[in-house]
Amino acid sequence: MAGVFVFSEDLALARQLLTPALELKASLGEPLVALTTSEAGAKELAALGADRAIWLKTEAAPEQLALALADLLGKEQASVVLVGGTLRGKHVASQVAARLDAAMATDAKTLKIADGKLEITRVLYAGLAVAEEVLVLPAVATVPARTFLPPSAVAQAGAVETVELAGDARVTITAVTATGNEGVDISAASMLVSIGRGFRKQDDVKLAADLAGAIKAELACTRGIAEDEHWLPIERYIGISGQTVKPELYLAVGLSGQVQHMVGCRESKLIVAVNNDERAPIFEAADYGIVGDLYQVLPLLTAALKN
Amino acid sequence: MPNLLVCYKWTLDEQDIKINPADLSLDSSRAKGKISDFDRMALEEAAQIVEKQGGAVDALSYGTPAVKQSLKDVLSRGPNKVYYIADASAEIADGAVTAKVLAAAARKLGGYDLILVGEGSSDAFNQQTGPRLAALLGLPCVSFVAKMTLEGNTLTATRKLADCTEQVTVTTPAVVQVLSEINKPRIPSMKQVLGASKKPSGEIKLADLGLSPQELAPKAVRKSVKGFVMSRKNVIYKESNAEANVQKLVASLAAEGLR
Amino acid sequence: MSDDKFDVIVVGGGPAGCACAYTLAKQGKSVLLLERGNSAGSKNVSGGRLYTYALELVEPGMYQRAPLQRKIVREQIMMLGEGSAMTLDYVDYGFGEEVPQSYSVVRASLDEWFAAEVEAQGAMVGAGILVDGLVEKGGKIVGIRAGEEEMYADVVVAADGVNSLLGQKAGLFPDVKQHAVGIGVKETIELPDEVISQRFALKAGEGAARVALGCTEGISGGAFLYTNQGSISLGIVFNPEQAAKHGRQIQDIFQDFKTHPAILALIEGGTSVEYGAHLVPEMGFHGIPQRLHREGMLVVGDAAQFGINTGLIIRGMDLAIVSGLAAARAILASSSPAEAGPLYMRQLEELLLLPNMKVYANFHNIFAMPRVFQQYPQLANQALQFLFRVDGKVPEPMAKGLLRILKSNVSFGQLAADGWKAYRSL
Ligand SMILES: Cc1cc2nc3c(=O)[nH]c(=O)nc-3n(C[C@H](O)[C@H](O)[C@H](O)COP(=O)(O)OP(=O)(O)OC[C@H]3O[C@@H](n4cnc5c(N)ncnc54)[C@H](O)[C@@H]3O)c2cc1C
Ligand SMILES: Cc1cc2nc3c(=O)[nH]c(=O)nc-3n(C[C@H](O)[C@H](O)[C@H](O)COP(=O)(O)OP(=O)(O)OC[C@H]3O[C@@H](n4cnc5c(N)ncnc54)[C@H](O)[C@@H]3O)c2cc1C
Ligand SMILES: Nc1ncnc2c1ncn2[C@@H]1O[C@H](COP(=O)(O)O)[C@@H](O)[C@H]1O
Repeated sequence: MAGVFVFSEDLALARQLLTPALELKASLGEPLVALTTSEAGAKELAALGADRAIWLKTEAAPEQLALALADLLGKEQASVVLVGGTLRGKHVASQVAARLDAAMATDAKTLKIADGKLEITRVLYAGLAVAEEVLVLPAVATVPARTFLPPSAVAQAGAVETVELAGDARVTITAVTATGNEGVDISAASMLVSIGRGFRKQDDVKLAADLAGAIKAELACTRGIAEDEHWLPIERYIGISGQTVKPELYLAVGLSGQVQHMVGCRESKLIVAVNNDERAPIFEAADYGIVGDLYQVLPLLTAALKN
Repeated sequence: MPNLLVCYKWTLDEQDIKINPADLSLDSSRAKGKISDFDRMALEEAAQIVEKQGGAVDALSYGTPAVKQSLKDVLSRGPNKVYYIADASAEIADGAVTAKVLAAAARKLGGYDLILVGEGSSDAFNQQTGPRLAALLGLPCVSFVAKMTLEGNTLTATRKLADCTEQVTVTTPAVVQVLSEINKPRIPSMKQVLGASKKPSGEIKLADLGLSPQELAPKAVRKSVKGFVMSRKNVIYKESNAEANVQKLVASLAAEGLR
Repeated sequence: MSDDKFDVIVVGGGPAGCACAYTLAKQGKSVLLLERGNSAGSKNVSGGRLYTYALELVEPGMYQRAPLQRKIVREQIMMLGEGSAMTLDYVDYGFGEEVPQSYSVVRASLDEWFAAEVEAQGAMVGAGILVDGLVEKGGKIVGIRAGEEEMYADVVVAADGVNSLLGQKAGLFPDVKQHAVGIGVKETIELPDEVISQRFALKAGEGAARVALGCTEGISGGAFLYTNQGSISLGIVFNPEQAAKHGRQIQDIFQDFKTHPAILALIEGGTSVEYGAHLVPEMGFHGIPQRLHREGMLVVGDAAQFGINTGLIIRGMDLAIVSGLAAARAILASSSPAEAGPLYMRQLEELLLLPNMKVYANFHNIFAMPRVFQQYPQLANQALQFLFRVDGKVPEPMAKGLLRILKSNVSFGQLAADGWKAYRSL
């Protein structure tokens, strides 16, 4: 077997994958091969430390490449395949793992080689626990976005190759609509005001927006606010199935602090909670908190923080 | 009329799992079983399809012997029959083993137009089983489906991805992984609950699936599981006077260098 | 039998409903037991003490199968003062012999077990179903309604607890009046079993039951504490009207109770695993509604307001079980639904439930005396402090000191009145 492979259709994420992959490469003493769906991307990854970068030349969507990609990786005798943990990436990774009859870990947070096996950590029970898992090789792992910083460029760029892949056309894509992404990346914000179901109606979100305005924070929310109420766009919800953020300040208002939510923000530097239920789990997860009605507390807090 | 199979997992209710503060081990002695949250949407979607256009729904689960506790519950949610593989091996089964067992069982049962799975199990959230199952069965896979309609043997689905939605079509048989937002599962009515005890269930013996010991050996093995505890300052201001609380909080934020 | 008709539908999977359904199913009746919780017991607040005789009445030896916690051999009464406490500890190993008199129980597991026993007898058990109405025909009750759906039966047994919706729908009694019920808050605290045994001086398997007075800030009410396996249940029962007038949150008073040094020492280091509030029938015999049956319906357990609270013993579960059994026996003995009601009342006498309640009929008067909950516990503590204090100064003469303490808490007139009232109530 030979080769640590990385694949992501998302170039930013592919860059990040190189960081753990370089470590695995060092431990295994095997070459690092980057796979991506654009030529420019392949060049860039080669410059960031991939020994080989393969441009997968295709018209097909990543999911449609899964089986062909698996065959390629099988031929290459890949030891470890790291896949960018987007939804598309998870689909691809699972099918690659099935086709290669390989072990797979979803959303690995740390990765290392020990005793010739891949050891990873990942969360269980939506964040309640962290598990260490040992995967026999060949192994596939998806890695969530922003888990690692990209490596810096190397002096000697790797070779760029082109492989033409035919997509699996059994699933036909008839239309693609970009979602109303407003282009904010809340994971980059240093302060977040995050709201939950304690807000009774859409208009009330203004209370939080005012507070956010006063401290130059972005708005974030729980899943229900985005998925059910549609009061904020879905890219603003935090949690196991949403975004992961690590701001300086996470100000949680009217949200209960269930583990599925907290797993997305628990690495924040400071967590502050406003909730009228003293028993809400958010207070256990908070550095500071106010037990009180948000409708009373928020205006006061906004006013106090403004000056 | 379509024949549907819904795969569901019987998991522990994580709300009742406690972390032992001494060694961070998990205490699940009080945790009850539940149908993995998102599998309810898969069950509901299948139920809605046959309500509209006829057909039949079977449910399938691979679990430890505790999986038997799920049968009534799952049958109250629509399926005509539930099949289960109750075997201790499920305790340590990884994505590879689970998919092989389910694929072998689905093959044995045969004749399904659609196999539905949830977005991810609420304990492991591997999000692997659906696509893996499809690959093993040689079926096309439609993942992350937010909306779907089945007409004859054409499935039209809306997939919801990070930055776009995709309309796709596929000819059945196929595997569909549904997102939790696809529907709101109903709470079973009295007659559905009571009717469930009269519906059939069938046990499939693991030994009858023709899988070798190697195939049943997990490739991903859990080395340790530790509860995640946050250590936070937990300074909570709870006077009845909101203004005083706000003042204290603002002072604390200032002390933290945030103002 | 058609799919939607049973001999008996029992609504409520608490001890009353389970005892009733168990007995009927065992005798071959077709029984449907409906419980709104996702499983029986899931809506029930933690622990308590169960007097064993009740299960023995349902079926001799049954208690041995039940998930009981510790057999109670220590009975304790505690009077709390501010930063002090007086505890009366009565240990009686006779209570633990042969068929032990009582056990601590955890309701979630007890009810779940009991419902499984009911199912094993062939009854149909439907959990997660909220019964929200009755079906009446020609003045008779012939079934129940859950949402849009109906189920029919010769007899419906309302075992739906203290706030019985079915009893109200049947017009048997108006809504539970505020003064008739107490509100209880309860918490379960987990601690290693050995630690519990040590703190309460118990051997393995033995348990303590404790009542405490003087912790309710003068509100009519008291606290209780039971040792389970690996946990302690504790709580306070209050008069809600007085509590409302008092102005302080019940939770806060409970919190103070838990942090009283004499209580804290018992629960320290434990983790709270459950917390909840629930109503309790408080009026005893006088609280029982005039009518407990209609043609086609019987009311059992808390729904019938069966409860005894002497301040020292709280009994509800045993009466619930006995009344469930009484209803089952009445149904088995009757040849038409119309007969079941009168037979049920007779069974309540024969199984000694009503005679038991009559004995304590006037007990609630004692709870109407506010001083029981503050002045008297304080008095006891101050008197003991006086007797035990040594600080090198010349003490007050004993009689004078005690009299001073007495007078500072109550007047002789109050004392005489309370004494007379208490005597009359007994
Ligand atoms: C598998 C799975 C995955 C999930 N993934 C996610 C995820 O990624 N992200 C996510 O967020 N959730 C997720 N959830 C849902 C999660 O479990 C919780 O249900 C959700 O986070 C709760 O949202 P909330 O805090 O807004 O609402 P609630 O839990 O209803 O909390 C509302 C809070 O507001 C407080 N409140 C009410 N009124 C006021 C007032 N006037 N003033 C102050 N406070 C008030 C209440 O006390 C309460 O604590 C997931 C669930 C599952 C099962
Ligand atoms: C704080 C506190 C401490 C207590 N301590 C003790 C003690 O130590 N010893 C003792 O013997 N007793 C004690 N009791 C009293 C005891 O809990 C009750 O007397 C006993 O539970 C009564 O049993 P039951 O079956 O009548 O009602 P419950 O136990 O209340 O059961 C009623 C059941 O009916 C279900 N239900 C209600 N409405 C519906 C509906 N519409 N549809 C379907 N299902 C429904 C409920 O979910 C519940 O499961 C205590 C009570 C409290 C509150
Ligand atoms: N043991 C199992 N038995 C049946 N279905 C399962 C099992 N494990 C997972 N699934 C299905 O696969 C989906 C994804 O699970 P997972 O890959 O574990 O996140 C679940 O939502 C179920 O529909």
